[in-house]
Amino acid sequence: MLDRRQFLKLGGATAFATLFGGCDKVQSRLIPFVIPPENYTLGEALWYASVCGQCPAGCGVVVRVSEGRAKKVEGNPLHPVNRGKLCARGQAALQALYHPERLSRPMKLSGARGSGSYTPVSWEEALSLLMGPLKKVKAEAPGSLLMLTEPMRGHAGLVAGRFMKAFGSKHRVAWDPFGPDAMLAANAAVYGVRDLPEHDLANARYLLSFSGDFLETGISPVHYAREYGRMRGDRETIRGKFVHFGPRLSMTAAAADLFLPCAPGTEGIVALGIAHVMVRDRLTAASSAAGRLSDDLGAYSPEEVEKKTGVRARDIAAAAEEFSRNQPGLAIAGTGAATGPDGAFHCAAVALLNVLAGNVGKPGGVSFPNRAQAFAKYGAEAALLAPSPESGYAGMRAALEKMRGGAFRMAILSGATNPAFTLPPPLKFNEALSKVPFVVAFTSFLDETTSLADLVLPVPTGLEAWGDDLAPVGHAGAVTLCQPVVEPFHDTRSMPDVLIATAKELGGEPAKALPWRSFKECLDKAYGGPGGEMEKALQRGGFFGESSSARPAARTGNAALQKAAERPIDGDPKAFPLALHLYPSITLYDGRGANLPWLQEMPDPISTAVWRNWVEVNPKTAAGLGLAEGDGVTVMSPSGKITAHVAFNPGIAPDVAAMPLGQGHTRYGKYANGRGENPITLLPARETYALQATRVALAKTKLSTTLARTAHPEGQWKVKNMM
Amino acid sequence: MARKRITAALALPVVSLALLFSADIPFLAGSALAETVPQPIAFSHKIHVTDYKLNCRFCHSSTNKSQYANIPSVEKCMMCHRSIATDKPEVKKVAQYWNEKKPIPWNKVIDVPNHVYFPHKKMVNAGIPCLTCHPGMDQAGTAVQTLEFGMGMCMECHRKKKVTIDCWKCHY
Repeated sequence: MLDRRQFLKLGGATAFATLFGGCDKVQSRLIPFVIPPENYTLGEALWYASVCGQCPAGCGVVVRVSEGRAKKVEGNPLHPVNRGKLCARGQAALQALYHPERLSRPMKLSGARGSGSYTPVSWEEALSLLMGPLKKVKAEAPGSLLMLTEPMRGHAGLVAGRFMKAFGSKHRVAWDPFGPDAMLAANAAVYGVRDLPEHDLANARYLLSFSGDFLETGISPVHYAREYGRMRGDRETIRGKFVHFGPRLSMTAAAADLFLPCAPGTEGIVALGIAHVMVRDRLTAASSAAGRLSDDLGAYSPEEVEKKTGVRARDIAAAAEEFSRNQPGLAIAGTGAATGPDGAFHCAAVALLNVLAGNVGKPGGVSFPNRAQAFAKYGAEAALLAPSPESGYAGMRAALEKMRGGAFRMAILSGATNPAFTLPPPLKFNEALSKVPFVVAFTSFLDETTSLADLVLPVPTGLEAWGDDLAPVGHAGAVTLCQPVVEPFHDTRSMPDVLIATAKELGGEPAKALPWRSFKECLDKAYGGPGGEMEKALQRGGFFGESSSARPAARTGNAALQKAAERPIDGDPKAFPLALHLYPSITLYDGRGANLPWLQEMPDPISTAVWRNWVEVNPKTAAGLGLAEGDGVTVMSPSGKITAHVAFNPGIAPDVAAMPLGQGHTRYGKYANGRGENPITLLPARETYALQATRVALAKTKLSTTLARTAHPEGQWKVKNMM
Repeated sequence: MARKRITAALALPVVSLALLFSADIPFLAGSALAETVPQPIAFSHKIHVTDYKLNCRFCHSSTNKSQYANIPSVEKCMMCHRSIATDKPEVKKVAQYWNEKKPIPWNKVIDVPNHVYFPHKKMVNAGIPCLTCHPGMDQAGTAVQTLEFGMGMCMECHRKKKVTIDCWKCHY
């Protein structure tokens, strides 16, 4: 037992120790640099322009650097895509830079493949481990090398493309779960241009969006958000009207004047209903010119469309009438439409509305600038630098078949798109990759895919590397330059640098194809180098002189309607009463942001949930199932089942359940692992990458976790008032 | 009795806390007024400034560009000491830090009190000589603080020069 005296002594000593311990932390040392960073002034920040690599939108950024450390990322005001704005994902690039789990050294596999146990090795050893099998494959069967990356743009794409060609393999696959495969196919069919269009929102008077969550995700959310703001508020007397069709009340839908819910994967049918009315009633010049209703369009009377989609016939007729009367108007298809069972059909149906409105190539409409003109000097190779991942899902599936057949002896992986996480399990990516004898991964983090590699090579993050970029939309030919804003923190080498070094070592054709000493030299040669134009461009963030020659006018008249291939979604409606709608998370995107705590703790704008995923259901549907807000449920599809928490969303159709993508990681570090389950495991394998492809049933389950939300759902929605 | 005991038990930590906070710890921070703070290298300001007539800003180059006066990098020292006075024992120490690519861990001598913003660049660019606030530095060995930076000292000079004495100029 303590007596009083001892107690007092102890108490005093504790207080003293606490305080004096704190006093030690007063700054008493002044540690100067050994060699200061370039242009360094103590206490004064420098801003470096570069490009954001957190999603494929390609926004320009400026990064505040003081004492040689990056402190803040902001949008580059000069950049045509984002004009000084930046989203939360872009801001979180700092956390990727300073991430405690970033790979700092090359690592070789030390256990069984997929065990995730690695031993650090030096770069010399890593490169010799890479060169051994590579030389053997080159000598014996060069065609058996696979390169599986995210879509590469700019000169990184040129280096990778040339490397593979000179090596003698044509198996270069680019994978991005939200890649524009469907959009490109639709645009080729309707507009005659296999490219992404510019939507001139700022000058439009009317906007029809079909599951186009362009304010939160989509192709270029910051660009579209800014243009949307201009459409709403930049003109003296006109405030553009916005009508949104989609399966759930998303943040974008919540911004609309009118939100009309439709079943997942039926967006194109709604669009054809509108087209039907436009042609039938000859509402615009172009729709009058289309003549009588074609047989294909005839089947989409508003009444028929109502049966299939749940959107009322009179709403469809009203939307058609308003859209036609308020020109210029725009129709935009988004990720929800493009990832339907037949995404290309849905996107083509929406594009048809722009053609019928006669908006192609006009202000407030759709245009196709020649964005890749800066790379025209590369002739046939120009496609390697442009942002069009032609291989996409079809290429991925073909590659998986070949992997299973043992066609590949070596695979080079790179990028954040993580196919082991983003592909439906029936495609068996892991099993297919295990058939490839040697796998090398270029990455900053171990994730579900890269942890299957035999050799892991650490790369610098976007804030530490040289590069260039061509954004997919939002400009008319601007090239963004990417420069290291800080000295690389770790012993990293970029993939193009390693490929160039490897090509030199291989000699022969590869060495000739990549004649540079480093990737920086490749860029210097391409852009005039230091002292020339490049130096000025680096200060501004790139070459933004937009003197784009417009493309030859896109085909606008008489667009043949694609034969409607409405593919039913999986699951018997009796056993699985709810259609599942999966959408990219505004914070985690396809899951790549899940290892960044800033993004994990950022509340979803609709559910306000953090750090975990959820299933959104209509409160009425939930009441029928005996589910309360926050309850645990098992979500069952014919292909799989997962558990999640219920979050009410009164703005979701009663026969729909919606889940955000991005959570459910198992090997993506301590911040990402074990936060809910991956909804992609509910999906079947289809001919296209279909996220809206299955029906589900919900059953109440007891979960040990809870769903943390920043706003009380009752207060937010007043559920009892809506029942 | 029990209550008394608890009061007594709480008293000592609480009193020691109060003492420490109310005093703002001047006796702990150890005012280095005219005292020599031990340094890893016996750098002489006198040799550099008085004997060889180097401008202060040659080494403390951020004083006209930044809030802070920087300590020169090891690289800056070696710009001259690669060839000058290389046989001197203190210069050899600098060379050793340079060869090992380690920074020199100087101890802080001069500080302004808390809750005040003091931008060096404003003073330097207004033409205030460095020795106004750092008198004796040109004759010193390693750095010394000979003036106590109290608010009175600032105010006196600001009044004399008829520049702002607005609270918010320095305390924000």
